[in-house]
Amino acid sequence: MSDDASTIDQLPEVAPFVDMVVDFCRELRVEGLPIGSGELLTYCEAMAALDPGDLLDLYWAGRSTLLTKNDQIPPYDRVFRRFFLGYDDRLPEQVGVLLKRSEIENESVIEVPSTEPRASGGDEEEAKLGLMASDIEIWRNKSFASCTEEELAALRRIMNRMRLMPPQRRSRRMRSSSSTDRPDLRRTVRATMRQHGEPSQLFWRSRKPKMRPLVLILDVSGSMADYSRNLLQFAYSARRASTRVEVFCFGTRLTRITPALERRRPDDALDRAAKAVFDWEGGTRIGHALQTFVRQWGRRGMSRGAIVVICSDGLDRGDPAVLADAMEKLTMLCHKVVWVNPHVGEQGGPLPDSLGMMVAGPYIDLLLSGRDLAGLEELAGRLPALR
Amino acid sequence: MAELTELLRGGAYLADRGLATAAYVAMTLGRPLLLEGEVGVGKTELAKTLAQVFDKQLIRLQCYEGIDTNQALYEWDYARQMLQIRALSESQLADADHVDQLFGPKFLLERPLLRAVRAGDRAVLLIDEIDRADDEFEAFLLELLSDFQITIPEIGTISAEAPPLVVLTSNRTRELHDALKRRCLYHWMPYPSPEREVEIVLARAAGATETIARKVVAAVNRLRELDLAKPPGVAETLDWVATLDVLGETDLDSETVKDTLGAVVKERDDLETVLDHLEELVVDV
Repeated sequence: MSDDASTIDQLPEVAPFVDMVVDFCRELRVEGLPIGSGELLTYCEAMAALDPGDLLDLYWAGRSTLLTKNDQIPPYDRVFRRFFLGYDDRLPEQVGVLLKRSEIENESVIEVPSTEPRASGGDEEEAKLGLMASDIEIWRNKSFASCTEEELAALRRIMNRMRLMPPQRRSRRMRSSSSTDRPDLRRTVRATMRQHGEPSQLFWRSRKPKMRPLVLILDVSGSMADYSRNLLQFAYSARRASTRVEVFCFGTRLTRITPALERRRPDDALDRAAKAVFDWEGGTRIGHALQTFVRQWGRRGMSRGAIVVICSDGLDRGDPAVLADAMEKLTMLCHKVVWVNPHVGEQGGPLPDSLGMMVAGPYIDLLLSGRDLAGLEELAGRLPALR
Repeated sequence: MAELTELLRGGAYLADRGLATAAYVAMTLGRPLLLEGEVGVGKTELAKTLAQVFDKQLIRLQCYEGIDTNQALYEWDYARQMLQIRALSESQLADADHVDQLFGPKFLLERPLLRAVRAGDRAVLLIDEIDRADDEFEAFLLELLSDFQITIPEIGTISAEAPPLVVLTSNRTRELHDALKRRCLYHWMPYPSPEREVEIVLARAAGATETIARKVVAAVNRLRELDLAKPPGVAETLDWVATLDVLGETDLDSETVKDTLGAVVKERDDLETVLDHLEELVVDV
């Protein structure tokens, strides 16, 4: 905080309201808003041009200089009310404790085994890992549902090395190339100049390929949770392969967990993602979840040209008509739909006989099992071919 | 600031306190203004009105996927350069002057950003739908917005004496980079309140009576409550009023709503939903 004060001191005129503004920003930071000295400085500059005695000026100038997203507005409003109007709407302590407790309970239900050896584990852990590595072949076809926690952690380490590469499409951006697509006049003219105006060689350019975005919609209810967690790991590694990945979870309702995956360490990322979801283990309303996705995100353009991977067993408790309708709209808003269902191929037939799968069946471009490591490898292998 | 609000009102644009403050601060500090909000709430219109009331030139850069510096900044007219080279070499005129001319203003195609830098504070630069451009372009824009300086290797560096007023709009089809947002002042534009919207209709649509304005606004607000894929914006409200005006309607009953619905609801699914709720749209005011 002393940094802020010294930055402000460098301003030619130190206005009397600066201390107050610094305190206000401190409060905002406590509330989790990312406010740096730069924003603070801009706020002060803005207030110098306005009337610091006017609450409305204070409010609006702060809002336009300190915030960068519209979901930051509610916390900003809260802090503003508290700081300038003395109106405290924080939760009473007891309720806070209750909430915290329920959060802890949530965490314990959805604990994600770590993929990295703990520091304390030391040699023993390593020895175990060495042994485990030799067992990969055996695990390849062992269903995730029957794996122990340690085995799952080891599997995740293996998956960490697998790369999920979405297919590519031609973007509108051009780059020079050898294929005779379009002439590259810029390069040709430059080369001509170097040759004293004698046209020597014609250069070409073509459209640069770009990876398609990937949207994962994961069922986290009951028995599906184990499979979905593995796909979550996939999402994390695909994200690092420099493509746009969006991740949603659903049980009874849809939650977007993409922001939670912006962490450097996979365990942190997965932990945060797990905390963002409230309804692990519960009923499933696939149709409703997909409909929400289409309405709130798909139509906005999130899934345009994307590969949508849905991971679910198709046991839908909602209305099949809603699911059919949502699937139809989804296919219109994305490039390809991949459905991962661990029960695929179990009963001999390619399509598991749940009502949800029957309804969604006609809209699916690729149906895979993803039940075990081999299944995930198949997914990773076939994805680039979905042009 | 009250002055600014009045000026905008003179341009038939009704800005609320928040927007007026954001625009005022942006102009005072010389910072770009980033407007986000629902479709059709007047983000683009603000830039147009600002240009109009301050008597500045509006320079618009419409972003799209794959837009690059050649389309946004400048481009040499290669085809003409090529012809010129041929002509020069045929008439044996390849001396220094003629070669210099090859990279003179005659062959430079000016694109919106270069034009804005040259115009400086005589212009309002509108960068529309920045969310459609890709990351690479955003990074480039970041650089330009910080110092308003363009270097063309053959000519030299061109910089704006005073930066133009920059307005960026985004429909939030994707999240913009934080770095870009931090350069800008941010304002979120919600739908206006019904009273405000009536005022907007009366200010913008010359032929509208207050009754019809109120009825249309009430109906549009009801439409926004329905679960539609594309809720109508203020632009649609104005379109609807204009449609009614063309048809010479003086009142809004369920029959007229049905006939003119195409002005506000533009999706088949939405139409079906709305037709189910037709009666609720017509209210007495």
